Amino acid sequence: MLTIKNLHVSIEEEGTEILKGLDLQVNAGEVHAIMGPNGSGKSTLASVLAGREDYEVTEGSVDFDGEDLLEMETDERAREGLFLAFQYPVELPGVSMSNFLKQAVNSVREHRGEEPLSAGDFLKLMKEKAALVHLDPSLKARSVNEGFSGGEKKRNEIFQLAMLDPKLAILDETDSGLDIDALRIVADGVNDLRGQNRAFVVITHYQRLLDYIEPDYVHVLVDGKIVMSGDKDLALQLEEKGYDWIKAETGQAV
Amino acid sequence: MQIEQKLIAEINARLERQDANGGNGWASARRLAAGAFEEMGLPSRRSEAYKYTPMTKRVTEDLSLENSAGVVSAARAFDAIEGLHLSTTNGLLDSVPQDLPEGLTISSLVDAYEGNRIFVNDHLSRAFVAERDAFSSLAAAAAEDGILIHVAANVKVEQPIVIHHDSVSASGLVQPRVLVVADEGASLKLVEHFGKAGESSAFENRVAEMIVANGGSIDHVLVYERSENATFVNGLHVYQEGSSHYATNTITLGGGMVRNNLHFLPDGEECETHLNGLYIARGTQHIDNHTFVDHAKPNCESNELFKGIVADKATGVFNGKILVRQDSQKINAYQSSKSIVLDRSASIYAKPELEIYADDVRCSHGATTGELDEDAMFYLMARGIRPEKARLILLEAFARDVVDLVDQEAVKEYLYTRLHDILEAHAS
Repeated sequence: MLTIKNLHVSIEEEGTEILKGLDLQVNAGEVHAIMGPNGSGKSTLASVLAGREDYEVTEGSVDFDGEDLLEMETDERAREGLFLAFQYPVELPGVSMSNFLKQAVNSVREHRGEEPLSAGDFLKLMKEKAALVHLDPSLKARSVNEGFSGGEKKRNEIFQLAMLDPKLAILDETDSGLDIDALRIVADGVNDLRGQNRAFVVITHYQRLLDYIEPDYVHVLVDGKIVMSGDKDLALQLEEKGYDWIKAETGQAV
Repeated sequence: MQIEQKLIAEINARLERQDANGGNGWASARRLAAGAFEEMGLPSRRSEAYKYTPMTKRVTEDLSLENSAGVVSAARAFDAIEGLHLSTTNGLLDSVPQDLPEGLTISSLVDAYEGNRIFVNDHLSRAFVAERDAFSSLAAAAAEDGILIHVAANVKVEQPIVIHHDSVSASGLVQPRVLVVADEGASLKLVEHFGKAGESSAFENRVAEMIVANGGSIDHVLVYERSENATFVNGLHVYQEGSSHYATNTITLGGGMVRNNLHFLPDGEECETHLNGLYIARGTQHIDNHTFVDHAKPNCESNELFKGIVADKATGVFNGKILVRQDSQKINAYQSSKSIVLDRSASIYAKPELEIYADDVRCSHGATTGELDEDAMFYLMARGIRPEKARLILLEAFARDVVDLVDQEAVKEYLYTRLHDILEAHAS
């Protein structure tokens, strides 16, 4: 579903290289965790895949279901089925959740050749998906993320994921700033959405989230490259031994 | 000074003609205003107050007080409001409504003067200061008639009074006066609509005074939508006695050159003043909001929110002055002005001015000017929303913030639709 080959990425304005030849293969139905110390390039990877403009791809390729992802605009990627759960969800004062989601859902539906949802069906869908992450349905009248608590913002990201029904979901440090109860709600929501046709890339600093979302593969990202891959046990080893262990194992500076 | 001399000669001729006819109206106030106008002259390019708004250029040689151009009418937008509906031609009432609620008077200013000279003399020019602005002085000197709306003490008029300014000269100068008085404990709501009157190129220069007595309340909304040929100087002068409430929402969507001169004098304690405004300037439109809140007495609160969107080659100007006088302690004054510039060829000049002489006050101001927020755009697009749609969503949210403060549901609904239509064209 997603094939990243030798990806090199620099910050557009200053030219500092963040990703230095990253390779990753994600197939439908799989859950991949990407772990790494601060500054290793985890969030850059998420941003580049979603199409944020502050980065420049200098080398390499990203294939998404047979198409060149890097050639697509951010909104096209989303309509093609790529979803990014933001580390810092953006507040949109004056934009109601229901209007926002209606526009988003119908953009995606139109792209898939489906009719826009009727008002009734849309409300039904919102209610059903909000329940997945225990969000109060009254949120539909509220402005997007405005006045939401940290936990509500993260749950709102998973709610949007559920509404948009993407092929590939990238969770960018969705666990950061969550207490254990909120973490469990978010993880339960994600687990409900796992399926044969959907893949997840879970980016996290800590192993904690992976107790709840069990990955098929774990990759360790250090200094812009994946230096080690394994199964879920790798995350446990990392938790136990710390990122310094990776340094010793791979000879990489951390 | 040629134009000024010509206008003053016309004003004097009018005053003399009235004297000869026996009735001199509020002649002394008009002579005072004429003197102030003669003294000031029209603002030059060096004038600080009109630095970014060359309004004087719109006062062309052919403008005359004697205006014989035919009248053009606008489509009405606010018929759906449940209220007392009035219509005007060149700012004067087409007919005086009958069966008004007890305690509410609506009439022409001349009739009001004939009926009760003392009342009109007491209130006219109570809020308006002739030396303050040349355009307002000109209008005050020239206006021979206008509208009076008066609510008697302790009468609360629930139904909004809706003035459809639907007919205006095809060209020329139009200078009416408006006087709105809420006596002690009285309240009223006023909605004014200046619809698009064809391609009328009239220069409307008006003086509106609103006076709120102790414990009284006035809620005012003005929506201006004339064509790009039109010019408007909206002199709004508000005088508040103690414990009174005044709110205005000035929405400017039309006009070639518009200047809203909004002056507030809360001249008693425990006053509440809300001044909000929104403008969208497109094409070559030039829209200027000049506000002045003069906190002359302690323990008052003022809230000010002005937002603007400029596109194409349009210009937006905001100048917001708050003066807190030395003895005016315990003032809470908040001002916020925000603008979005959609095109490189459009411009915004924003200048907050806080002059505070009292030491125990809470005042704040914030002014932002910029493009649409990139993070917000990215967030919307990351959900599959096309960029033109995302821009429209953000622009509408930005503008609706001000419209949300209007308390007339029908006006809000109308404005939401208008904003959508106007902004859609500028979002792609």
